[in-house]
Amino acid sequence: MTGSPYAIEGTALTRPYGGFFAVNKVDIAVPHGEIRGLIGPNGAGKSTLIDVLSGRAAVWSGQVRMDGRDIGALGAQERRRQGMARSFQKTNIFPELSVREQLDIAARKAEKPNVEEVMDELGLSDLGAARARDIAYGEQRRLDLALALIGRPRVLLLDEPAAGLSMRESLGLATLLRDLAQRWKVTVLLVEHDMEVVFSICDRITVLQLGRVLAEGTPDEIRRSADVVTAYLGSAA
Amino acid sequence: MSRATMNIAAARVASPRLSHLSWLLLVLALAVGFGLPGVVASVLVLTLLTQAVIGGMLAVGVGFLIRQNGVVSFGHAAWYGVSAYCLGLLLRHDVLSAELALVLALAVPTLTAFLLGLVIVRVPGVAFSMLTLAVGQAFHEFAMKAQGVTNGDDGFAIPLPDTLFGLPISTVQQPETMFVLCWSLLALVIFGLYVTVRSPFGRLTEAIRENEERARFIGYRTVLPRAATYAISAFVAALAGLLFALYNGFVSPEVLHWSLSGSALIMAVIGGSRLLWGPALGAVIFFFLKDLAGNMTEHWPAMIGATVIVVTVLMPAGIAGTLAELFERLRKAGGRA
Repeated sequence: MTGSPYAIEGTALTRPYGGFFAVNKVDIAVPHGEIRGLIGPNGAGKSTLIDVLSGRAAVWSGQVRMDGRDIGALGAQERRRQGMARSFQKTNIFPELSVREQLDIAARKAEKPNVEEVMDELGLSDLGAARARDIAYGEQRRLDLALALIGRPRVLLLDEPAAGLSMRESLGLATLLRDLAQRWKVTVLLVEHDMEVVFSICDRITVLQLGRVLAEGTPDEIRRSADVVTAYLGSAA
Repeated sequence: MSRATMNIAAARVASPRLSHLSWLLLVLALAVGFGLPGVVASVLVLTLLTQAVIGGMLAVGVGFLIRQNGVVSFGHAAWYGVSAYCLGLLLRHDVLSAELALVLALAVPTLTAFLLGLVIVRVPGVAFSMLTLAVGQAFHEFAMKAQGVTNGDDGFAIPLPDTLFGLPISTVQQPETMFVLCWSLLALVIFGLYVTVRSPFGRLTEAIRENEERARFIGYRTVLPRAATYAISAFVAALAGLLFALYNGFVSPEVLHWSLSGSALIMAVIGGSRLLWGPALGAVIFFFLKDLAGNMTEHWPAMIGATVIVVTVLMPAGIAGTLAELFERLRKAGGRA
């Protein structure tokens, strides 16, 4: 660690997509241990921002820092070794391998393998022998998250982890995330469309619109922001 | 024991440790190889079987690449042919002992494939297949054009020594003994690949085949394992090429031609590549079908083509894969009864 107050930081991040900028000079800094929500309408640039921070998409301009260290040139696997992990909008697992096999493979790259712990936390202990493609969708989503949680990452980037889950499953996931983040001291950047999840667990929220930061603040501040209400949340907020 | 613990234990069943059954099957396979020449009286059939086993080894290499990397090579004849040419050229120029030439004839194509693999495995799907085709044809063109080195289209006879590892050279030139050697090596190769796919490396390459992006995001560099898999499959093809060169004592550009790569692929498709021995079974069927159909008509490739269509449509997992599925279903039905 370099003594930086921020676990993950993006400065003036820009990333073109087709003929426009999906992310345009975005500044974002998430302090250690914080759960930061990232919301915005479709096409706001949320997933692209996560992709740029995680190394899935190259930085076009700007800087990505982890614990104050520039990691912009590092590939996904090196970022993982630095303690950054992510989940994906579409379930991203190894369908033909058993749940246990894939978590074991992930654990081989972890300094402190914690397969049993992760399986237990995510309710996957009964599914160890099951082939991933054969388990229910909600369980696959949890497996996707489990792959990211192996080795207790310090920074967790989650791209719509509750997508496709029932309301009960989403709230269960939210509680679990809050709990894990506190116990494991994980910094979380969470992209999520389920506002109940976001507003219930996030310490602060960043709102993106058309690739730019529209607002940033606590959940209460975001709820009260006229700009946000107009641009995104609508009267339902 | 709780249900959770039992399930975790069950998941660990697929550990790299080999069962007694695996060893027993290897011993059985070796025994069959040693026993078969005593049962098969016809030299013609033994010759055909020897060719089929050599072809089967090439197909096993192609099948291994499909199984572990999820990609199709249209150019594996390159490693088969480079191995044969390496041996031929080294012996022709008498620069090394025959034993060392054999080792080099395996090492050169394997190492070349690994280095090439570091570049071409980055390319997905059909583009990868096209690159392998291009590489294979480049070697073929070189063998055709470099008259001074390879004697071009005519090829050349390999001046084999009188003995090899203390054994008379007739051991590798008579079908009775060569069949046993080829069969034993094929059994050992399949066993070696079986150990490989069950090892942590094998599991990793399967994971990468399944989802390369996810593998990177759990911390793995994916190019190196994929290139290593490509090199292993090339090594198996090179071993087949070496056996071919020893058996025939002759090498020509045909051993580098894309049609040989295509035949190996057809064998892998007929047998199925999900099981490691599937392509070898496909090779035996291919060679016997070719021989049978060849006696009936000059249009025998059409019969091979029809077989491929039938197998692909009715048995997408190949004949070995379908047999395994059937066996699994019967086992489950037996368990329920």
